[in-house]
Amino acid sequence: MVENSPSPLPEREVYGFPPRRPVLFLSSQFGFILYLVWAFIPESWPNSLGLTYWPQKYWAVALSLYFLITIVIGYLLLFGINIMSSSPLNSIHTITDNYAKNQQQKKYQEEAIPALRDIPISAVNQMFFLATK
Amino acid sequence: MEDERSFSDICGGRLALQRRYYSPSCREFCLSCPRLSLRSLTAVTCTVWLAAYGLFTLCENSMILSAAIFITLLGLLGYLHFVKIDQETLLIIDSLGIQMTSSYASGKESTTFIEMGKVKDVVINEAIYMKVIYYLCILLKDPMEPHGISQVVPVFQSAKPRLDCLIEVYRSCQEILAHQKATSASP
Repeated sequence: MVENSPSPLPEREVYGFPPRRPVLFLSSQFGFILYLVWAFIPESWPNSLGLTYWPQKYWAVALSLYFLITIVIGYLLLFGINIMSSSPLNSIHTITDNYAKNQQQKKYQEEAIPALRDIPISAVNQMFFLATK
Repeated sequence: MEDERSFSDICGGRLALQRRYYSPSCREFCLSCPRLSLRSLTAVTCTVWLAAYGLFTLCENSMILSAAIFITLLGLLGYLHFVKIDQETLLIIDSLGIQMTSSYASGKESTTFIEMGKVKDVVINEAIYMKVIYYLCILLKDPMEPHGISQVVPVFQSAKPRLDCLIEVYRSCQEILAHQKATSASP
């Protein structure tokens, strides 16, 4: 290595090495290898070794398919939840909320940047739509 | 004085805005929605009847066909009477109030009146409705707080015009409201 710093280098980025959370990385790799071994090795070999209590091979395909469908439905569900949780058009939450109602008015100082606060919607509308274009 | 212009709504359909200036303190805005198109009506009728015919070939029960005809007729009547809005009107009378009228395709009209003492302002607000849309709404005063808003009443809910139409209506309403505030502020 040219540099020994832990900062991301181009050749290191591709492999994600050294891994940030080694426990999670190693356990997920081990789980994946175990899943592949269980799915592909025929029943007789682990049985001869004495490891007889495995789930049915049906689940090797079913679980991966369930996982895939869950991800696809997750996208649709997230979109639906977002749309459902946006307030209706006649709700007061489209205009203001508790923080804006209880904000304090600071006194205006000359040549200072004005304090950040919520501008009432009437003033915003007048500035946008009534100012002569 | 009356004038008419055509605009478009958020889906791209054509709207007609009719403005009537009865006097400096009374104005009316009338938005006409596009009528029920023959194309969509035949499409819906054909799908319902084809589905009923498919069920009939499966079940060999001729009640399905008469039920489909019945459902189509009732559905059309119900849609015209309860759902399809032909025209929406906003009438502003300075010092009296604001009146909104929706007239349905079957001839039914429903009216809402808000007196001027309750009206704080008429603004164009943005909200999410499948996408971000602009809509005109009336803000009502809060009796407890002098600068609070108690309720938001959206107008032109079925016509859903775009921003250019809303700006026209907004400017006219603000002229009347400014006039009203000036006369109410002076004793």
